[in-house]
Amino acid sequence: MSTIPVEQPTSAPPVEAMPSRGFWVEAWQRFRRRKLGMTALIFVVLLGMVALFAPAIAGTKPIVTRYKGRLYFPAMAYYNRRWENAIFRTEDKFRGRYPKNLKENDPESWAIWPLVYQDPDRRIYEDDWPGVIPPNPTGHNGKPYLYYLWLKGWDALFDTNRVQEEFSEEYLAGPPPFNLFGTTDRGVDVFAQMVHGAQTAMLVGFVSMGIAATIGISMGAAAGYFGGAIDIVLSRLIEVVMCIPSLVLILALLAIVERPSIWHIMAVLGVTGWTGIARLTRGEFLKLKQMEYVAAAKALGAGHGRLMFRHILRNALAPILVPIAFGIASAILTESALSFLGFGDPTAPSWGDLLSKGRDAIREMWWLILFPGMAIFLTVLAYNLIGEGLQEATDPRLRQAGH
Amino acid sequence: MFSYLVRRLLIGAVTLTLITFFVYGLIRSMPGTPLTTALAELDPSKSVSQADYERMKRIYGLDKPWYQAYFVWLGNLARGDLGTSIARKQPVTRLIGERIRATLLLTVPSLILAYLLSIPMGLWATAKSGTIPERTVSTLLYMLYALPSFVAALYLQLLFAVKLEWLPLMDITSPDYAQMSVFGKAWDLLLHALMPMICFTYASLAYETRFIKSNMEEVIRQDYIRTARAKGVGPVRVLVHHAFRNTLIPLVTLIGLTLPALLSGAVILERIFSWPGMGSLFFESLRERDYPTIMGLTLMFSVLTLLGQLLADILYAFVDPRVTYS
Repeated sequence: MSTIPVEQPTSAPPVEAMPSRGFWVEAWQRFRRRKLGMTALIFVVLLGMVALFAPAIAGTKPIVTRYKGRLYFPAMAYYNRRWENAIFRTEDKFRGRYPKNLKENDPESWAIWPLVYQDPDRRIYEDDWPGVIPPNPTGHNGKPYLYYLWLKGWDALFDTNRVQEEFSEEYLAGPPPFNLFGTTDRGVDVFAQMVHGAQTAMLVGFVSMGIAATIGISMGAAAGYFGGAIDIVLSRLIEVVMCIPSLVLILALLAIVERPSIWHIMAVLGVTGWTGIARLTRGEFLKLKQMEYVAAAKALGAGHGRLMFRHILRNALAPILVPIAFGIASAILTESALSFLGFGDPTAPSWGDLLSKGRDAIREMWWLILFPGMAIFLTVLAYNLIGEGLQEATDPRLRQAGH
Repeated sequence: MFSYLVRRLLIGAVTLTLITFFVYGLIRSMPGTPLTTALAELDPSKSVSQADYERMKRIYGLDKPWYQAYFVWLGNLARGDLGTSIARKQPVTRLIGERIRATLLLTVPSLILAYLLSIPMGLWATAKSGTIPERTVSTLLYMLYALPSFVAALYLQLLFAVKLEWLPLMDITSPDYAQMSVFGKAWDLLLHALMPMICFTYASLAYETRFIKSNMEEVIRQDYIRTARAKGVGPVRVLVHHAFRNTLIPLVTLIGLTLPALLSGAVILERIFSWPGMGSLFFESLRERDYPTIMGLTLMFSVLTLLGQLLADILYAFVDPRVTYS
């Protein structure tokens, strides 16, 4: 456990002169001192940026293009398919092949392209961008370019034959197709899928935990605050949901909708993942409602809602935030596990989906396991570290102990 | 104590009824029935007549709405009959009995191993708290804890089965298992069980070690520990006898809560290693919409979860004499 330095005693301690800092400011300052927690937070923020700007990082649709005298933003189609301008979809029938069509239909046009010209949903073909981008290799020829660089860097010094053996002629002939993390069996770029998969992961984490936290906090608050019959009923409900094997619950709920989209999955994960938060909230409420300050507020005439949410919940929030951070990690995990088992949304690129393709071709295509596995691991690790940091920054017991 | 037990068991029975009722409704409302999923796999040219289909439906009790069929299931359960698997034409109890051995083969050694390793490691980490070796081990354990078991399983397979070829990739036995000697059979099983066992162990090992350490950290700062040290008790004795004994309560609860995992196995891990255990059975029966098997398994898991909680509470009273349930 790392030590959080005790406040440095100043030469003359003018304690009473200082305005007291708020609880959250203090917690943030304590959190900021933890290197690991901060690193994790920075990682998550970066991942969030990757997710947010995924279409600008990897895609085959220009971010901005001037076509037939007007400006368009075709990359927006990656956020929502309907946002692709009608002129590209129906009028001029681009079929997603922008470079060739832009040039042929309007030689005057220009475009700003994503950093990597690769698509998360389809293979890049020879005619995609003639003369500039070679086609993606398929099957076990689609080795990661990183691996190629690595082999070249080490082995080219001693033995060039190995590089030749490891890579097909196709790979070494022209310019490399820059499949940083390789391609799937159908030639879809893994890097593009992972960048767009970050979108899925971040969204799943936040949305499903948001739902779970809302349900859990209101259930737990009601049970803990009112007690009596309400508590008995709600506690039974929590127990029942906890005891049902989560896979049954998730799969059965998913089966009810005909073709589950990523939003359905988030809703189901939220509806099934609230029990831990509810239990904790209930416990905190049971404890806090006995406190003198609550009695004082009640004596001052505060109503139930004000007592629950303004007085008790605000003091219970810190311990509840911790399982929420861990819950985000577990929601991401569950989503990739569902995709891995083949119950995910087939249209949303997902790390778990890549892993399941990798499992089917484990003897040939190791890169389908190595890179997405690492992504899941790092993301889960980061959220766990944030949860841990939150816990140590907000838990007064850990603070008093001098840690 | 006795009245407490009776009350807990009664509440448990109510909870169980609610769970099974709810799950039954849920699985019956999933699209497809065991008959249609089984028929889909059959030869499509061999169409089943409507009359045959209706007859099959009646035999399996699928003609009734689910809330009626649930009470039929409950009635059979009261007579000790879990029903017959629709997809496999075998009694559910026998099916579970067959699969449970494979799961226990993995989970029992994993559980024992995890506790055997985590208790000394947790104590060691407390004693050496803050030193470089301790911080290294703790960091490693923390990273292990965040490593999802299915990612770990795939990485292990890549390394030990594909790259190094030391261990078999999947399945519980080799194809020529039947011809092996007794020793050969045991060795073959061990080789196949090694990777899944590691996957089952490492996560709980990491979690329990951290759990023990954080509980110990809290206890070690108590006044009675200082007193014990001051009167000249050796460091090991302080750690084990004075401090660790007082962290037993949360540990015992943890054991109670991990018991259900013993029998439930893990769906994903068993799928990855094609391990014919409870998790696989559960997954297959969900796919086949095999209602009796799903219900049997759900019942078993829920009973175990509730029993685990009860056991944890009772053990509580044994470990901590301050806790009484009278």
